[in-house]
Amino acid sequence: MKIKIKLALALAVAAAVALVGALASSASHGASPYKVAFIYVGPHNDGGWSQAHEQGRQYVQKALGSKVQTTYKENIAVGTQFNQTVASLAAQGYKMIFATSYGYITPAITQKYPNILFEQATGTYLAKNVAEYFGAAEDTVFLSGMAAGAASKTGKIGFVVAYPIPEVIRHANAFALGAQVTHPGATVRLVWTNSWFDPAKEKKAAQSLVAAGVDVLGQNVDSPATGQFAESMHIPWVGYDSNSSKFAPKSWLTASVYNWGPYYVKRIQAAMNGTWKQGFYYGSIKDGFTKLAAYGPGVTAATKAKIASYQTKIENGSYNEFAGPLYDQSGKLRVKKGVRMQVLTGGTNSLYGMNWLVKGVIGSPKG
Amino acid sequence: MRVTFERRLRQPRWLSLAVPVGSVVFAFFVAGLVLLVTGHNPLTTYRQVFDAAFLQTGSLNQTLIAATPLAFTGLAAAAAFRMKLFNIGAEGQMYIGAITGAAAGLYLGGRGGSSVFVIAAMVVMGFLGGTAWALIPGILRAFFKTNEILTSLLLNYVAGLLLTYLIFESESYWRETKGFNATVFPTGKPLPSSAVWPAWTIHLQGGITIPFGAMLAVAVAVVVWVLYKRTRFGFEAQVLGDSDRAARYSGVRVRRKILAVMALSGGIAGLAGASQVGDFSHSLDGDPNGLQKLGYGYTGIVIAALARYNPFAAVLVAFLMGGLENAGNTLQGANFPAGLVGVIQGIILFSALGGEVLIRHRVRIARTGHAKATGLETVS
Repeated sequence: MKIKIKLALALAVAAAVALVGALASSASHGASPYKVAFIYVGPHNDGGWSQAHEQGRQYVQKALGSKVQTTYKENIAVGTQFNQTVASLAAQGYKMIFATSYGYITPAITQKYPNILFEQATGTYLAKNVAEYFGAAEDTVFLSGMAAGAASKTGKIGFVVAYPIPEVIRHANAFALGAQVTHPGATVRLVWTNSWFDPAKEKKAAQSLVAAGVDVLGQNVDSPATGQFAESMHIPWVGYDSNSSKFAPKSWLTASVYNWGPYYVKRIQAAMNGTWKQGFYYGSIKDGFTKLAAYGPGVTAATKAKIASYQTKIENGSYNEFAGPLYDQSGKLRVKKGVRMQVLTGGTNSLYGMNWLVKGVIGSPKG
Repeated sequence: MRVTFERRLRQPRWLSLAVPVGSVVFAFFVAGLVLLVTGHNPLTTYRQVFDAAFLQTGSLNQTLIAATPLAFTGLAAAAAFRMKLFNIGAEGQMYIGAITGAAAGLYLGGRGGSSVFVIAAMVVMGFLGGTAWALIPGILRAFFKTNEILTSLLLNYVAGLLLTYLIFESESYWRETKGFNATVFPTGKPLPSSAVWPAWTIHLQGGITIPFGAMLAVAVAVVVWVLYKRTRFGFEAQVLGDSDRAARYSGVRVRRKILAVMALSGGIAGLAGASQVGDFSHSLDGDPNGLQKLGYGYTGIVIAALARYNPFAAVLVAFLMGGLENAGNTLQGANFPAGLVGVIQGIILFSALGGEVLIRHRVRIARTGHAKATGLETVS
């Protein structure tokens, strides 16, 4: 009896191994379509940042059709997992990789694959085969802040934020500056979640903000959890990254949304033509990189008109929300009157290096 | 009809191999059902998994990279679980080992020590960091009988927050502060070149690179095996694991054992962290989307369960798990759900632990007539 059982088990194991070990040639098919990969830090359907990139990828696939073969990898951690993903993509013949979060691209990995073109979102490292791309989302965040300020009765606004890094600080500041245009004296209270995408933490952050007395919620994180909570509390909500109005149809005001598609198409076409060059792309409202999502029912016509007028001024360059005089939380003058903050130059007075919060923001820039 | 579970007197050796293998087969079977239900072909998927893990060019290298931390955390879990000391804190102990190992590398490498010395120091400091973190639940268990599962698990979150704090929220020693890029986004200070761990390349199949950490893990496996099989320490630890009372009555110093085993287990997990810094990231990775997202410490538990706490089996299983992780990254996409690898690992764990019951117990189905008549049941 025992021997029979042993034999049966051995056979089963052997069969399983044979099944798994049966090999097929793993060579990739003909290389005519240009292979491009997109790497996301979160799920492709997070309702936020990664979803916006995914929409960009689908835009590319639709625009370029059979000339390109696109794929995405989601939930890829920074570090060895990213390196492994790049290694496997390289082995499969991918020629261009869009890494959609800071920290992915390191000199080591880009030097290891000099024939692959890398583009990183929100970063600063440049090399022969590395380009960076991002844009002036702060302009549309500023405009969305105007909507928040107009919708607030008490002038107390809450803002759920991820990490205390210049990108997020800049957006929080833009939001506050916008709110103060439509609601002079408005304050924006920050709660840090230490995560780009964590619906549970974001909901808790929103709860603590409401408990502290805010009557409008905004965010610089990737999930619509804040909005869902706002809807349940019947308070207005400004989203981020993509149009998530379906999660909170009554509370939804608007959001700063990214439109990555056109940039992707442009760059992929350049790569296919051989005209691709490294560069630092900083998009704007004018070139379609960023825009305001459609308004919700709570935005009045007067507010819409005011926002539109500011948008026109930003687009034609006559207005910039990060132009002096700008005071920090302690009241100190940081940017003199008439001076505009630049993207990269100016140290801590640059957009990419900003580590201080403007007057009216409640919370620490250190997290 | 009566079904009883009886403890076996002897544990047949073939069962000890059959149950882990059977657990894996069962897990793949269940995952295959999941694949079928979501509209994928399980057989082609599994063939692709095998391909992507071991056969494609360069995939062995990637598998070894994934397997190195898993070997350490698997050994750490095995070393503790063997004594029924459930150290779930390998994840946090790994983070602390990374912090202390990186500190040694940055400090000593920066002062111009020789590579051998700096790397040895990183290994030692990584081990000690993990040990220190594991001694917290160890002391609580030894002296206050606090459940080490809860304490070690919750300390994982504390360690993760500390790791993030050092890079993201403070200008700590580990953080890169020079240069404009450093102000734009927080990153760790890069290790000096003398602190970078070496790797050996075997010139087969396009070059297989074996990181120093992988070799260190094998050495640790040997040490753990010798410790548990050939020393009194190991014997006493196993007795304590099997029967607390028997151990006490035979004079085993229980408190010391608990502390020693937790220290060993935590130290090995700390080595996982030091290896991450020395072999791969070459700086302290405090990004919550980096090391903290990968769950190496938790996968180590699955590995230890599957290896039935045998150190050599743990290294082998870690290699296979590394292949699975690597394949998961490679295959991930529209045809292969991103979470499938995690699902497979979870089912393996359940099956392996459930299979444990079968190894230690036998199922007897008895007709209720006989037992009453004789009053005695013979064990056949």
